[in-house]
Amino acid sequence: MAIPGTPTRRAFLKGSAAAAGAVGLASHPLAFALAETFPSRNINVYVPTREGGGADRNLRAFTSVWKKYLKVNFENAYFPGAAGRVGYEKYMGLAKPDCYDLLFGNMGPEVLNWVVKQPSFDLNDYFYFARVDEDPGVLFVNRDGPFKTIDDIVAEGKKRTLNVAVSRLAHPASLGALALAKHTGAQFNLIPLSGGRNTMAGVATKEADLGALPSGGVISRGKNFRIALMFTHDNPVPDRTDNAPTINAHFGTNLPSLVAGSRAFAIKREAVQNHPDRYKILTDTLKEVFTDPEYKVAVEKTKAPWELIKYGSPEACAQQAKDLMVLGEEYKALLTGQS
Amino acid sequence: MAQESTPLESKRKRIGGDLVIPLAAVAFTIYYFSTIIDSPWTAQVSAFFVGTILIVLIGILGVRSVIALKKGEADLGMETLLASRAYLSRRLGLLALTVGFIFVVDWAGFTLTTFVFLATAMLLLSEGRNRRFILFLSAMLALAGYLLFILAFETRFPAGPFENLMKQVL
Amino acid sequence: MEFDPGLFVELFARTLSFWWVIIPAIFLGLVVGAIPGFSAANTIIILLPLTLAMDPEIGLIFMVALYASSRMGAGIPAILVNIPGTAGAAATPLDGYPMTKAGRGHQALAISFVSSTAGGLLTTILALLAMPWLSQVAYYLHSVEMIVVMLFGISLIASVAARDTLKGLIAGFFGLMIGAIGADVVYATPRGTFGFLELYDKVPLIPALVGLFAISEAFLVIEQRSIITKEGQALMAKAGWAETWEGVRIACSKWWHITWTSIIGLVIGVVPGAGASIASFVAYQQSRTYSKTPELYGTGHVEGLVAPESANNGVTSGTLIPLLVIGIPGGATAAIMLVVLQYHGVAIGPDLFLSNPNLAYGPFTAMAVTYALMILTIMPLARYMSKVTVVSTVYMTPVIISFTLVGAFVSREYVFDMYLALVFGVIGYIARKTGYHVAAILIGVILGPMLENYFLRALRMSQGDIMVLFSSTLGNILWVLLAFSIGLPYYLQYRRKRRRQATA
Repeated sequence: MAIPGTPTRRAFLKGSAAAAGAVGLASHPLAFALAETFPSRNINVYVPTREGGGADRNLRAFTSVWKKYLKVNFENAYFPGAAGRVGYEKYMGLAKPDCYDLLFGNMGPEVLNWVVKQPSFDLNDYFYFARVDEDPGVLFVNRDGPFKTIDDIVAEGKKRTLNVAVSRLAHPASLGALALAKHTGAQFNLIPLSGGRNTMAGVATKEADLGALPSGGVISRGKNFRIALMFTHDNPVPDRTDNAPTINAHFGTNLPSLVAGSRAFAIKREAVQNHPDRYKILTDTLKEVFTDPEYKVAVEKTKAPWELIKYGSPEACAQQAKDLMVLGEEYKALLTGQS
Repeated sequence: MAQESTPLESKRKRIGGDLVIPLAAVAFTIYYFSTIIDSPWTAQVSAFFVGTILIVLIGILGVRSVIALKKGEADLGMETLLASRAYLSRRLGLLALTVGFIFVVDWAGFTLTTFVFLATAMLLLSEGRNRRFILFLSAMLALAGYLLFILAFETRFPAGPFENLMKQVL
Repeated sequence: MEFDPGLFVELFARTLSFWWVIIPAIFLGLVVGAIPGFSAANTIIILLPLTLAMDPEIGLIFMVALYASSRMGAGIPAILVNIPGTAGAAATPLDGYPMTKAGRGHQALAISFVSSTAGGLLTTILALLAMPWLSQVAYYLHSVEMIVVMLFGISLIASVAARDTLKGLIAGFFGLMIGAIGADVVYATPRGTFGFLELYDKVPLIPALVGLFAISEAFLVIEQRSIITKEGQALMAKAGWAETWEGVRIACSKWWHITWTSIIGLVIGVVPGAGASIASFVAYQQSRTYSKTPELYGTGHVEGLVAPESANNGVTSGTLIPLLVIGIPGGATAAIMLVVLQYHGVAIGPDLFLSNPNLAYGPFTAMAVTYALMILTIMPLARYMSKVTVVSTVYMTPVIISFTLVGAFVSREYVFDMYLALVFGVIGYIARKTGYHVAAILIGVILGPMLENYFLRALRMSQGDIMVLFSSTLGNILWVLLAFSIGLPYYLQYRRKRRRQATA
């Protein structure tokens, strides 16, 4: 396709072929002895959700800049299914412990999976080494609908049971909705619709009364939806969320901050033990992305708010995972239907 | 809809073959039920509904078959399934080659495996005729598959010696 | 979103000036559509580096042209070699393949091309004119109503196997049971997966499709010299342009059929997540119900081919409506288009029609232009493409098997899916040999999970009250129509019998 001013498919293929050639050379023992450069071939990223979803959007924006620092491309492979479980099992089963294979997922809901059912691998065999965003869990409504504020919702929820569209039950945003119901006495009936896109469709088509999701996708469709409440301790994007109040400030609760979207890179622990030098290159270059103005441009192109982008260290990730597991245990009966 | 009908010499219907699908369906349904016995009701409701109807339908078929057997209108012959014995060995050979293809493709790579599969399967079906043409055709098709699926569409087919060699060459 | 004829003429002319993008996209779309497992969605993903680099308007035209033409491409192997490339083409071989076997493959292709193009063009224009109203459809077709729509499709199970209804029902319910494999939508507990992780996300459709239809067929046809019957071969040998044009003429004479079945596709397409497979089965079922000759369906009946082909192209225009009006993509391809548009910073939603009409109306004009250009480029090829069917089965069978295994692999890139296709091939082979209808199994596998999804959603919303199924006016109207369309064929049959007895 000869489209002026654009890279053609052929050029693209040539680029890939050149990269492939480089791999061939580098894997030769002699070349290896001469210089151990990392990375010498493309990095593979396992994504446990569908293409076009929230994690995919974040990943594309991030790697479009990260690749500049690593000087190689990223190849994403998507393994959706069973709330992300399939992707993790695939990663732990197939990925080589050589720092070329990473996983990129939405830590919050995916960690809650392990509360529901232990995976086939040991949870200590992988860890999240960099969180790229902190996306608050929110309660949102259709702009054309009857609700204007969170007080309208709670008042109505005391009169009748409201249907709340959620991505899945084991999700921080769903836990937020449950916590709100518990505190205010409003009746919420959670409807899992498998994924953010379907959840928003449920609210957009008015089949559900309201929805609970990470804020990013909802904000990017701000014309359709109004955010009524935030489940975090502060509202990082007041101007794009109709200045939505936070649950603790508005209702005087003392709930932990429910970050619903915390997309993060994970890696096999064995890979880091085998190649600490490579791991260092990954983490050093990764941090540079956050200060690169190009990254801000890439994020803003996705219509997701830049304010949600926040680097999280391996320690911060571990703490968040631990907090979620504790909260998940509290609501375990609801998440598994074994009440 | 076009269905295979097998002409039967005898007036008695051979219904042994007809029972393979229902038996498989019953076995699968029982297995399925065993996996949801402890699940929440949402995981059970549709499967129990569908599975029960399926078992009832198969029960009716069973009764129908028993009546036909008792009346002597049918027997448990498997001819409907295994008819045309002349082709049975070729069919089983093709099945074995197909299983072999999938098994080997994981380490021998797409292109080589496809070539060997196409060539052997065609030779099997042609009973060894047109060998040169078949080898040429299989090579061309395998190569075309490589160009289309691996080079152009970058499908992640398992790579083998051929793909790795081409990677170095390109 | 006011209708302004001047704007549309201008847009149409402008889109036509991008023929240099549209024509290559058409050919690419036809190729990827014809390869099982590939689809417009995964091709657009493969080409993302290219599409993202394009100007958003050109990128969108490119994606739309690829989308529309891949839909048409999927019909080609479905008709010629019984391999539906996507679930949307699953109803196409029901009558398309018997036509091929009778030596009328080229005619079947011509009929499919005309119905796809006419259906696609018509619904695109309708979508343009009626967008504000059509976008409302999604507000009314909720889970309760969709359950009934699904049942329209599932009721086909009873009618496709009219020869032995009991066996037909067993096949269909077996299919529904297989379709229930996978994690449940509420608590994600694995069910009937035999411990395979690859089955957690339900039975993948492409391996089931190609296995049940193509692999089972490949194992059957080795008894014959070619897939075409002897009489068919004679017909094929003397087939010329006249026969192809005859196909065009036949299709054109079915204009009313094309119109209403494509509208079924358009309406179902507007509902987010519904898609082409349900639309084509519902269209086929409706077509059969109101036909004067329902017994001919499945034997190579023209209307049985026209209905699914116009309907699945109607879906193509339908899925763009929720994307552009409410910013929610109606299907996988539309979701990828959204990624590209967002990358370019295009804010999707009602405002787009005011802020950037070129982009908002662009997809529809691009689709209309694509259909117009497509029919011109593809029709001459029908005769040559159909020649593939006369190739000896000695060569065809291995090629079909390897080709379908490739198809089974590419959609998820699991080697496991190739084994799965083979298992379905064996099930399909046994089913065909012993009089169980494979299409009935397949309808169960495809529609079963969707039905369960809507059913559980409705039940959960009503907190377990089964009466929710009869809680909406539109839903109740649909129930009555469903009962009517299931009962009608029996009534007509009864009346015909009475009349025959009276005349005898």
